[in-house]
Amino acid sequence: MEGFLADHKSHLGMVSLEVPLISNLPVWSNIALIRQYHENMPWEEAKTQALDLLQRFGMAAAAEKRNPSLTAEERFCIMLIRAAMVRDAVVVLDRPFRILPDLPDGRFFTDSLRKVDDLIAEAHIFDYNWEKERYGATDDAED
Amino acid sequence: MVFIHQFYFTSVQILPLFLFVAVIFGSLINGMAFQVVKNLGLSEYLGRLLMGFVVTELSPFVTVLLIALRSSSAINAEIAVMKVNRELNTLESFRIDLIHYLFIPRILNGMLSMVLLTSLFALVVLFIGLLVSSLVFGTSVDAYIDTLLHSADLLDIVILLIKCATFGFFITMIPIRLGLNASQDLTSIPVAVLNGMVKVFLAIVTIEVLSSIVRFI
Repeated sequence: MEGFLADHKSHLGMVSLEVPLISNLPVWSNIALIRQYHENMPWEEAKTQALDLLQRFGMAAAAEKRNPSLTAEERFCIMLIRAAMVRDAVVVLDRPFRILPDLPDGRFFTDSLRKVDDLIAEAHIFDYNWEKERYGATDDAED
Repeated sequence: MVFIHQFYFTSVQILPLFLFVAVIFGSLINGMAFQVVKNLGLSEYLGRLLMGFVVTELSPFVTVLLIALRSSSAINAEIAVMKVNRELNTLESFRIDLIHYLFIPRILNGMLSMVLLTSLFALVVLFIGLLVSSLVFGTSVDAYIDTLLHSADLLDIVILLIKCATFGFFITMIPIRLGLNASQDLTSIPVAVLNGMVKVFLAIVTIEVLSSIVRFI
């Protein structure tokens, strides 16, 4: 996985517990921050984009919340939106069941990825081998 | 944007407390100064006393203490919490430069806030001085301003501005640096803040002493 991350570093959008939301910023600002800094986008425009993306997930009401007050599902979706804000993003879901341990299977992840399909170039899920049944995979899943 | 937020937290939110302290200190210092000047018959030195002590020494010192107590501790805790929560990893992962995003706005804000708040403190104290002066000596506004202008020394003002900017630099840079020393352990946050604030205090004393040496030698 490290090699993959290094190869795609310039377009990498991580969704991982190791890459948490910034706790002293509201949700919209966590998302807008990426394009503000990568593309020097004015904050009003970046905020509008962030709010539009939150709307796609039906989470506009969470825009002003901060990380500690989010539910696990909200947190995952916001991390995904943030990752998708990277231009031509190579989105990596790093052991997503650690973020949402109570999910029975991986459909929530694939459904969420479809909502930002137009924004991302590639999406990859890295997880433990023992989780492959939850993804409905057989024997080709990666460790 | 980060700079504007930081400036708001440091220089705008503090204003009610800051003005209250400036009025209290201004009244006390002016009251004492005018009493001494009147009793000793040294009214011709009033302007020198106000410009040389109140404006160039007291104003930056009270200002830096207030900003250090409020903003330096906040910056120190903020950076330490970000380190413990691995939020600095987030910025690195998304290729957001820590220096540009976190450090430079805070340090620039510290320098600018120090200069502006010190100026505000000095103005409040001098305005109170005007009120006391007209009550005690019956001095007119023009005569009071004239006395101050004649007592103002350009070199003192330059040293004051440099001192304020230096205060601002160190009372933000030290908390950032010490905040980064936090480990991944929650208990390292109070240790980082404690160490940071002690070093901030030492820096304030050192700068104060150095500026006095430069001014008086």
